[in-house]
Amino acid sequence: MIPQSMFPPSWSREKRTAITIAVAMFTMVLFLFLLATILSYMPEPIGPAAKQFAEGAMVTVKLTIYAGLAGIVLGVLASMGELSSFLPLRWISKFYIWVFRGTPLLVQVMFAYSLVWNDKSVLTEMQAALVALALNVGAYNAVAISGGIMAINKGQTEAARSLGLSRLQTFADVIFPQAMRIALPPLVNNIVSLLKDTSLAYVIGVVELANIANQIKSSSFQPTPVFITIGVIYLVLTTIMTQISSAIERQLDVERHK
Amino acid sequence: MSTTPMSTPMSTPSTQATDAARQQPTRPDKPLIVAKNVNKHFGKFHVIKDVSTQFYQGEVTVIIGASGSGKSTFLRMLNRLETHDQGHIIIDGIELNDNLKNIDAVRREVGMVFQSFNLFPHLTVMDNITLAPRRLRNMTRPQAEEVALDLLKKVGLVEQARKYPHQISGGQAQRVAIARALAMQPKVMLFDEPTSALDPEMIKEVLDVMKDLARSGMTMIVVTHEMGFARDVADRVIFFEKGQILAEAPPEQFFSDCGNERIRNFLGQIVNQA
Repeated sequence: MIPQSMFPPSWSREKRTAITIAVAMFTMVLFLFLLATILSYMPEPIGPAAKQFAEGAMVTVKLTIYAGLAGIVLGVLASMGELSSFLPLRWISKFYIWVFRGTPLLVQVMFAYSLVWNDKSVLTEMQAALVALALNVGAYNAVAISGGIMAINKGQTEAARSLGLSRLQTFADVIFPQAMRIALPPLVNNIVSLLKDTSLAYVIGVVELANIANQIKSSSFQPTPVFITIGVIYLVLTTIMTQISSAIERQLDVERHK
Repeated sequence: MSTTPMSTPMSTPSTQATDAARQQPTRPDKPLIVAKNVNKHFGKFHVIKDVSTQFYQGEVTVIIGASGSGKSTFLRMLNRLETHDQGHIIIDGIELNDNLKNIDAVRREVGMVFQSFNLFPHLTVMDNITLAPRRLRNMTRPQAEEVALDLLKKVGLVEQARKYPHQISGGQAQRVAIARALAMQPKVMLFDEPTSALDPEMIKEVLDVMKDLARSGMTMIVVTHEMGFARDVADRVIFFEKGQILAEAPPEQFFSDCGNERIRNFLGQIVNQA
């Protein structure tokens, strides 16, 4: 975290947040960009495989970003469905959340890849991994967001409706922004978990960080340094993500920071 | 006016006074709000029992009564935050029923101020006021902000425009809530115990704003325990008891001529509290 004291006191909270996010994003890109170079200075068995590690890290980040964004959209939709007054919609949402929270992610990943049509796999390894990861994190996000929505005082809806705002306007302008603020910490938690969970894509052959580690381990017979390396890479990535999220959290949390 | 079947000794001799009130030039013949034989149940509990009354343009009505008497429920029915089981509520010619279009139309014309302010905590004071006009009156942001600044001037809070609700006091928050409701240019303002959640030193600033509003000719219906406000500003006081209107009269008469023991007791308690 960039300490608040590093900023000139005249800067607004918005400006500080923007800078923090920009710096964190830049660090992430720089890290991925320089990873191969840094690792190439390492001794055997890491140095010679530096490029593979860097490529694996890229795939891991890609999986996280795509599945994470899709998972947020799914989470918002499912939470709206869950709290909808339209019964079938509520059933569908509850069923979705029930299934994807109640089965192991590993099984979901393998299931998505197992779907066959005309003797051919419907989804590529990457697609199957993305679909399973997005649906899984979406179900957990839905729970976090519904919790946020239900935590909003009923008076907020009454005030908005008595001004004449429609139900949709009330949700979009009044309830949802407040609910997201409450849901943000668990959402961030889910995305950080997602980054770690992308390693499960390894079982269906997606060449991400864990898969690379396994390959290098098999060819070098030196598992320990290989797993330390990817462990450190995961740590750096999750740490940077936590920075971005806590900056957003601070930005949204109007009430604590005056 | 005296359609209430439960007329008390107090309101029966008041026919003269109400006739006098009817002849006031400010009161047009057509009432703005008509409630006719309104009933409501919460489960088995009969909250509102066959209430009928009217509210006229420019009239300030104060509704008093013990907690649980149904006065807040009745007020909240007037913009359908609560539904009624039987009877009719007609606001400015529009009947309140399950027709969502009617409800939204009525709510745009009826401003509401709540006991707990219910400001939107994620929006600045300015955005709290401009949200509804921007969404519903097709105003651009600069237009809406101009209107909002005008209202903030009236309630004496121009300096607070860019602050968030948690950064201002309760009294200021309630004044912002009044400005927010006024920004929709309502025909009538409903106040649901607007000063009950306030510290004593903040009550006056809110009541002053409400008095100004009353003087400007706004139609107001106020549920409150502020008897001073009722005495000074109200055109009519309605006393609610067990879901019924037990008495209604102009304040001078209401407070001097307490023929009804129940009302006397209630007023006695209020005075003792103060």
